[in-house]
Amino acid sequence: MNNSNKKADWGTSYGELVWKEFTKGKLNVVCLVFIIMLFIVAVLSPFIANDKPYFIVIDGLLYFPLFKELKATDYSVFLASLAGITQLLLIRRNRRKLDPSLRGSALLRQVTVIAGVLLLGIILIHVLIPHRLDAEDYKTMITSGKAEKALFAPIPYGYARTDLQNRELPPSPEHWLGTDDVGSDVLCRLIHGSRISLSVGFVAVGISTIIGIFIGAILGYFGGRVDFFGMRIVEIMMAIPTFFLIITIVAFFPRSLFNIMFIIGITSWTGDACFIRAEFYKLRKQDFVQAAKSLGLPLKSILFRHMLPNGVTPVLVNATFGIAGAIFIEAALSFLGFGVAPPTPSWGQMLSLGVSTTGRFLWWLTLFPGLAIFFTVLAYNLVGEALRDAIDPRLRQ
Amino acid sequence: MTELLNIEGLTTQFYTEKGIVKAVQDVSFSIKKGETFALVGESGCGKSVTALSIMRLIPDPPGKIVNGKISFNGQDLLGLKEKEMRAIRGNNISMIFQEPMTSLNPVYTIGDQIAEAIMLHQKKDIEASWREAVDVLRRVGIADPDQRVYEYPFQMSGGMRQRVMIAMGISSRPDLLIADEPTTALDVTMQAQILDLLDEIQKEYGMSVLIITHNLGIVAERADNVAVMYASRIAEMADANSLFKNPLHPYTVGLLNSIPKLGEEKQRLMAIPGNVPNPLRFPSGCRFHPRCPICNNDSRCMATEPQLEEKEPGHMVACWKV
Repeated sequence: MNNSNKKADWGTSYGELVWKEFTKGKLNVVCLVFIIMLFIVAVLSPFIANDKPYFIVIDGLLYFPLFKELKATDYSVFLASLAGITQLLLIRRNRRKLDPSLRGSALLRQVTVIAGVLLLGIILIHVLIPHRLDAEDYKTMITSGKAEKALFAPIPYGYARTDLQNRELPPSPEHWLGTDDVGSDVLCRLIHGSRISLSVGFVAVGISTIIGIFIGAILGYFGGRVDFFGMRIVEIMMAIPTFFLIITIVAFFPRSLFNIMFIIGITSWTGDACFIRAEFYKLRKQDFVQAAKSLGLPLKSILFRHMLPNGVTPVLVNATFGIAGAIFIEAALSFLGFGVAPPTPSWGQMLSLGVSTTGRFLWWLTLFPGLAIFFTVLAYNLVGEALRDAIDPRLRQ
Repeated sequence: MTELLNIEGLTTQFYTEKGIVKAVQDVSFSIKKGETFALVGESGCGKSVTALSIMRLIPDPPGKIVNGKISFNGQDLLGLKEKEMRAIRGNNISMIFQEPMTSLNPVYTIGDQIAEAIMLHQKKDIEASWREAVDVLRRVGIADPDQRVYEYPFQMSGGMRQRVMIAMGISSRPDLLIADEPTTALDVTMQAQILDLLDEIQKEYGMSVLIITHNLGIVAERADNVAVMYASRIAEMADANSLFKNPLHPYTVGLLNSIPKLGEEKQRLMAIPGNVPNPLRFPSGCRFHPRCPICNNDSRCMATEPQLEEKEPGHMVACWKV
């Protein structure tokens, strides 16, 4: 126990093995980098594309309109991603340095501390940053000489800003990817839309995975009559064309982002449930599960501590495909007009603008969001496939 | 010595598509405090199902304990709720399985797994549990226990894993340890070591051991009392000495004759003719009669099932011919 100063070799972990296998393919790494970049863009989107300057000097006074205008949700996103990165690094450090007996409690402590800091930060932001509404156009302030100096974001347009003089412009040095029917910059909306798409993907898959694991675990573990009736329900769910079910449900609820995430989540858990059921069916007869039972461990420990880690890999792989699927469904819903309400940007909704307005076909409104959807979905699918191959020991040399 | 476990008329059945498998039928025996009780028999005779019935770990469905009484320390185990039973499993009654290679969870370190049981049953915090796990690993003879707690099962040999299983089993000092063929999967030198270890710990902790085996060699040396099972029933039950010196049931005689002995003239080993009967269709009457050398088509053997009777003091046999 007193060997914390001694550098121990805990061997190569399963994660490291999978990582090694995963990085063997160049395309996998490219896709992963693409996804990570998409993440960075999504998290930092207000800093990349914003019509408010980082700072502006008016009458010798310094203002920070961009920071003042950020919403609490933006700050929550920053803090959450910061916490996520810290947590990842901490887990890595724990594995390297920490006595395994303490890893569990240390992790709990770290999570608590980070969650506490996060909560405190959000509360502070709410208290300290008043939502001062500055509806002025900062760009004209520079040209009219009202302000002396300002620093704008690389893409100095707001996603909700309308500019009717510059509507439906093709790509130009000013608007790199053109403007849409109300004069908003397409690139700016694309960047902000990545947030919507990614969060829909992750939250929807999170919901569906949790439901799927829970139902699959119960069906697979208990078997017998529970399994029989449970599987019939799962099959009924599978038989219904999900997309039309989603359209039907969406029609009854207000068009909010959360509703869409939730609806995609609760309609797409069947695959996960089947995977987990099959794994648990196999696992429940294994000796270590019997041994865990004979130790008197409670059911939740047997199911989720002892069985789940041994059977979760197919679900993890399925989740990557699920994210791609959810992004796709959201785009399709938005394209059909069932998605998030404008001016909230979403890739599918932007896609639909290309054909619906004045009868002209605005190719830049179709091509760029289409490419964004295409590459994102492709990257997720390729990563999922690579992950599946990396996890499968039979393919390992 | 007082009685620790008393089983009366235990009957466990499995309801399969082909019919009802009577895996254990009308089995009665009792284990005293501190003794080693051996349950001997061929594969499929119901030894393991008896053990699982005691733990109430029969998969239901398809299995079910249809009859009988199991009292442990005066407590009726079959009448307990699942939650109460969980508090007994691993705490008062522990079990060691046959296959050490697969009985440990591959995704956790052995320290994790031992500590989880200690935390659960002894209500200790995580650090105390890990210290206790190191102690118990040292107790079962694992070298460098404070390093080994951090190892994963795949980093250990079969014998060491069985030691770990024993460590898990004894971590909460149970009153009864059920060892289901604890050495079958190990090589011969390891077998002796593991059995010696079990013996030592049993003496030290004063616990009872129910050892399930098909290896009569183990039984002869270590058991106090022995029950021989054949086709879901107990055929003969006695203290180890009288069973080996004076086996009464023809099946026991056959089993003992089929063991090669040192220093004997080389000749073909005596085998019991025939096969273990299909548990779906046991023979009528005495279940052993189609294979029995002394039955001689006796109508009583073929028609009615013999009951376990005390033929000699402390020596119970179920046979019409004895």
